[in-house]
Amino acid sequence: MKKIFFIFLAAAFFFAGCSKQNEAPDTKLNETIPVDSTTGVMAKYAGNFVKGPYGTVTGDGKIYLQDGKYVLALENIVVSNGPDLHVYLSKEVQPVNFIDLGKLKSTNGNQLYAIDGVPDFTVYKYALIHCQQYNHLFGSAELK
Amino acid sequence: MNKYVLGAMTMFCFLSAEAQQKPLPRISQFADLAATVGNAEGSIAGSYIYNWRIGKKRKWEAGLGIRSTSYFGVKKDFITAPARLSRSFTTPFAVVFAGQKTENWDTLTVQRPFINSINLSANFGYNFNERWSAGFNIDLIGFSFGRKSSAILTSNGTTRTEGETKVPAFNVLLTGDNDYGSLNSEFFLKYKIAERWGIRAIYQFYFAEYKTTTIQQTAPDGTAVDRFRNKANTLGAGISYHF
Repeated sequence: MKKIFFIFLAAAFFFAGCSKQNEAPDTKLNETIPVDSTTGVMAKYAGNFVKGPYGTVTGDGKIYLQDGKYVLALENIVVSNGPDLHVYLSKEVQPVNFIDLGKLKSTNGNQLYAIDGVPDFTVYKYALIHCQQYNHLFGSAELK
Repeated sequence: MNKYVLGAMTMFCFLSAEAQQKPLPRISQFADLAATVGNAEGSIAGSYIYNWRIGKKRKWEAGLGIRSTSYFGVKKDFITAPARLSRSFTTPFAVVFAGQKTENWDTLTVQRPFINSINLSANFGYNFNERWSAGFNIDLIGFSFGRKSSAILTSNGTTRTEGETKVPAFNVLLTGDNDYGSLNSEFFLKYKIAERWGIRAIYQFYFAEYKTTTIQQTAPDGTAVDRFRNKANTLGAGISYHF
């Protein structure tokens, strides 16, 4: 009987102890920078990433307009890995009001993130790499 | 969900048919440890129950207990909690049949919820025979403590970060969405594998609550809302030791 009890207890602690770290892939990406059919390749807003309080980020963030739709391009990006990393457009460096563009596709390379609608980029002026689960900022780029 | 209810009813009918040979003891007193899992969430609960058996054949039992429940999850959505906003009416008991006013709901996604609640519980059961029984229990009143966690409040398509949500301290059962705090309830089927030991199959319904500290929902009536609730449906197992 004691054996059953301890097996049950061990199973309970196993379930309790499970945690999913959920880190970003580290395969280098090389997504194509969009070419606008009328204006050619030209970033509307751009900025260099600087490291945040947690982790490090290098590379550039650029907003492109392609056929009427905006995308955020992370170019030559290198990010120290972490759990649950997301790409934000934010009003603040430490995000309070933000638009979540999705999970970070990879810790390095060139990658594109679609932006829904037409946000005011003079207000949502920061591109962020942010650990959502622990609310930790890895890096930010002010887009000008 | 329907198949679980149908299965439980079938088992109830089957077991009811079994005759009971002798009256059960007047008192049913036991300690129980239970674990449940759901979608990116789970719980562990420990409880002590003191039930009185009632009726001529003492098949029914009811009593009180004390239960400690630890609930944990990852990225769980908590919905606007006050019943006046979440439901079409708030009459106690009848509130569980009230329509849902989803247009008033905002979502607080708590990144790493972890709640410990210690509550007085009410317990009800029916003994089919000496080995099989079924029952229901629900937390009544108590207190909670737990981990502060960051969260994201989604309201009308906008997202804001809440740096620190916290677990409300006070729990009380007021039925349905009128409840405050974090309260556990279970439907279970128990089988006694030995004189003092029993195992349980459990369906658990857990009300978990978190409060925001820096940002709030602005309700359509202009009031500020800082209470958000997650209703966790989980399945699990338990083991009981009868004194």
